[in-house]
Amino acid sequence: MLEQQLFNALSLGCVYALFALGFTLIFGVLGVVNLSQGAVFMLGAYAALTAINQLHAPLWAAIAFAFAFSGLVGLLIDRLLLKPLRKRDAPHLIPMIATIGLGLAMNSLVQGLFGAENQRFPSEVLPQDSLQIAGISVTVLELGIILVSFVLMTVLMLTLNRTQLGRALRAIAESPKAARLLGINVDGLFMLTSFVAAGLGGIAGVLIGLYSNALFPLMGQPMLHKGIAVIILGGMGDIRGAMLAGLFLGFAEVLSVAYIGSDMRDAVAFGLLFLVLLVRPKGLFGTVQERKV
Amino acid sequence: MIEFLDNFWSVYSNLVLSLGTNALLALSIYLTLSCGMLAMANAAFMGIGAYTSSILTMNYGWPFPLAIAAGMAAPALVAFIIGRPTLRLSGVYLAMATLAFGEVVRLCILRAEGLTGGALGLNGIPQLTQWWHVLLAVVLVLFLLARLRRSKIGRAFEAIKEDETAAGLMGIDVNGHKMLAFALGAAIAGLGGVLNAHLTFFIGPQEFGFDRGVEILTMTILGGINSLFGPVIGAAIITLLPELLRSFKDYRAVANGLILVLIVLFLPKGLWNPAWMRKVAGLAKRGAK
Amino acid sequence: METKQVTDLPRFARISAIALAAAVSLGTAQAAEPIKIGVAEALSGGAAQYGISIRNGFQMAADEINAAGGVNGSKIELVIEDEQGKKEEAINAFKKLIFQDKALMLFGPTLSNSAQAADPIAQASKIVVFGTSNTADGITSIGDHVFRNSVTEADVLPVTLRTAAKVARISKVAVLYGNDDVFTKSGYDNFRKALDDQKMPVTTTETFAKGDVDFKAQLTKIKATNPDAIVLSALLAEGAPIMVQARQLGLNVPFIGGNGMNSVKVFDLAKGASDGLWVGSPWSIENRTPQNTSFIIAYTKKYSSPPDQFAAQAYDAMHIATEALKKVRLSGDLAKDREAVQAALPAVKWTGATGPFAFRRATDKAGKPAGYDANQVPIVSTTRGKNYEIEK
Repeated sequence: MLEQQLFNALSLGCVYALFALGFTLIFGVLGVVNLSQGAVFMLGAYAALTAINQLHAPLWAAIAFAFAFSGLVGLLIDRLLLKPLRKRDAPHLIPMIATIGLGLAMNSLVQGLFGAENQRFPSEVLPQDSLQIAGISVTVLELGIILVSFVLMTVLMLTLNRTQLGRALRAIAESPKAARLLGINVDGLFMLTSFVAAGLGGIAGVLIGLYSNALFPLMGQPMLHKGIAVIILGGMGDIRGAMLAGLFLGFAEVLSVAYIGSDMRDAVAFGLLFLVLLVRPKGLFGTVQERKV
Repeated sequence: MIEFLDNFWSVYSNLVLSLGTNALLALSIYLTLSCGMLAMANAAFMGIGAYTSSILTMNYGWPFPLAIAAGMAAPALVAFIIGRPTLRLSGVYLAMATLAFGEVVRLCILRAEGLTGGALGLNGIPQLTQWWHVLLAVVLVLFLLARLRRSKIGRAFEAIKEDETAAGLMGIDVNGHKMLAFALGAAIAGLGGVLNAHLTFFIGPQEFGFDRGVEILTMTILGGINSLFGPVIGAAIITLLPELLRSFKDYRAVANGLILVLIVLFLPKGLWNPAWMRKVAGLAKRGAK
Repeated sequence: METKQVTDLPRFARISAIALAAAVSLGTAQAAEPIKIGVAEALSGGAAQYGISIRNGFQMAADEINAAGGVNGSKIELVIEDEQGKKEEAINAFKKLIFQDKALMLFGPTLSNSAQAADPIAQASKIVVFGTSNTADGITSIGDHVFRNSVTEADVLPVTLRTAAKVARISKVAVLYGNDDVFTKSGYDNFRKALDDQKMPVTTTETFAKGDVDFKAQLTKIKATNPDAIVLSALLAEGAPIMVQARQLGLNVPFIGGNGMNSVKVFDLAKGASDGLWVGSPWSIENRTPQNTSFIIAYTKKYSSPPDQFAAQAYDAMHIATEALKKVRLSGDLAKDREAVQAALPAVKWTGATGPFAFRRATDKAGKPAGYDANQVPIVSTTRGKNYEIEK
């Protein structure tokens, strides 16, 4: 049983990390806790579903469409909502509340358009059966999720650490004012980050929608709660931290179910969260400093 | 006329009283905000107050005033305990920590089935809240907070909110004041919880989680934190909004969310902003000339 | 000078004129006063999928009754309010329907929690409140104006368990349930009592939370304990992924489910993994009685999707209420009429989409008679291929 549980933990951890990546990117670069990311995640799933059902698109095209659609929504959120708030230097609780309102509106809009009932991706888009590898059950989708999350993390890390773009982003994360003075196109990079982060959220939505066979308008909310836990554990704004923390949370949850008891699962997760906040608020894996305003 | 009022009260009494309890909750957040802290645990404190008092009145037959006192003392105590380590954190970290704490409280309520009824909630709470309880509570809290604002403590809060380090250097006991704001805020939230529970017969753990915390926060920010009336106005709007938007039917929540966004965008200091209103009044006067 | 007056007309014409006038005035007088029935259900928010089904069931029944002439000539008018699945809103909706719209009786609310908060108001205002989806404790014990036709899980689950155990030869089970939702938790409580009563050993008990997407940890642990079946108290949103993931892990034992799993959507949401699910419920889409068949056909035609248990119970409830309303002579005094409805309802017997139905008196906390529960025999079915097959 242990090997199976370890694999379960790995795939669950990657699911959490996948969602947290976009979320933490926005916090790191834009300095905003964007609580509409749950709705963006959900929109990606529904966008892909529409592409598959109405346009008969193959899975890879539907995922690309979800990325683009969610990315666009994220971009609009930045332009129409976050930018005006940045301009007037609002205290950071204000954009958070605004994104809550927006998330609420988007969830309800989708419910009005698609109905409240659960839907699922047609089973033909992905082989459903599980393979037996070394005594553990593994599905194609789980392998896909693990692969995608590691690839994404690697790409993001390389971009941040090895490219000029990455240096610019890190400068903005330190201090937007200083970055502007250095001649960095802060506004343009905000746009890019919003687009990419939301797009990542959309992809996460599709993958998790496939994994759980459950698409519903409020599907982003539980993910959002886990996402908050992940970015606290991982250090808010830290990409590598988010990935590691996602895995950590996955392992903590699965192993506490397996060896302590499934009703202690959330208690363990929150206990850890608290401990981290009290002892090491920068997060277990955090290397990012708190932003200088 | 009497009949109209009578009828109005029959239909809307619950709404009006909920407005009152929501105002209490908004004021509790206002208190912590006025000390520069973004504490999002007040929904959990509301829950602690609600459960403590309900268990006492339902199972042990305590008289209402005593239950109210217990419902305020319990959250204040918990605030004191968790405040020690968490109030060291700043800004968004504090917000997130208190948010997480809220979830912990909800989980504890779920687990302590024997006492709290777990997921099934507590049913059959005696309906002890009268309209004058709520009115008295709101008036007293407003009075208390107004006095606090003008006192030395209030000025200390203001200083801490502006710049914590400087305040500490000036000799203000930063930690002590923050703890006071936190614990007092918890007590007020508990009061709101007690009155609300004894109004609706039933409470369940899902009512004191993230969604409720967000709702209370929205009320406070909406109304504006420049004066004491702001949170009350914010509470009024958020409480009445579902009623006013009844005609929107399925799209009511969409309108709700959009209104929040619009107010945040265009009325950033909240609705009750004396400066803005003076400006508008000034324009009106000039127009009249 | 001759003036022609009505009295000069031949006698036959006179009588006809009077008769005609009388008939017209009687007809318009009857049609003038519709019967207002309040419906408070969750049409938005987390419980919307149930509330909307329920509303559809009510609407269809009301339309049918009105098309057949209404109740003693009066048409039924549904005043529908959205209580959003929130207890405060349920209270507000009830108050509006009772005091502002002056409804004759109320249907709803959707969730048991809302009922626990709002039904006391109906009881205090002496108006009948008829729930079609409230299955928790503490509802009909509120008072004698509280009715429901939703068969409680306390009545259904033991029957499901016993039938499944006998037919599928089950000697030990694992239990999996949602521990943070009223519905799934009370389902678990009822299952556990039935398991104790029937002396069925439990290999392990695992939990999950609402909104979870991954159940592999719990299912792997369950698999290691080797049960003959898994007792599952879940709503379909989690239940379907649970079934899919179980099969992916090679866990192929039957599932014994509660009310939440009784929906044809399981064939879609758990496609390829939906076999072997046992459910008991007061209604089954496979139950080919004439009343049920015509209900299913009409509903599918009107709403472009097949009905579920919620719609069926709402549909029957409207008809049950109508049977009582037929016996009531409306006096125009609202309080008296509301009392008359309360007096006429308990004796109603009706055979509808859910089969033969009667009320059964419930007791309050002190043991004294209070409201009225459903007295109905549950149907146990199991999934095979694309259908539910009823087990005798």
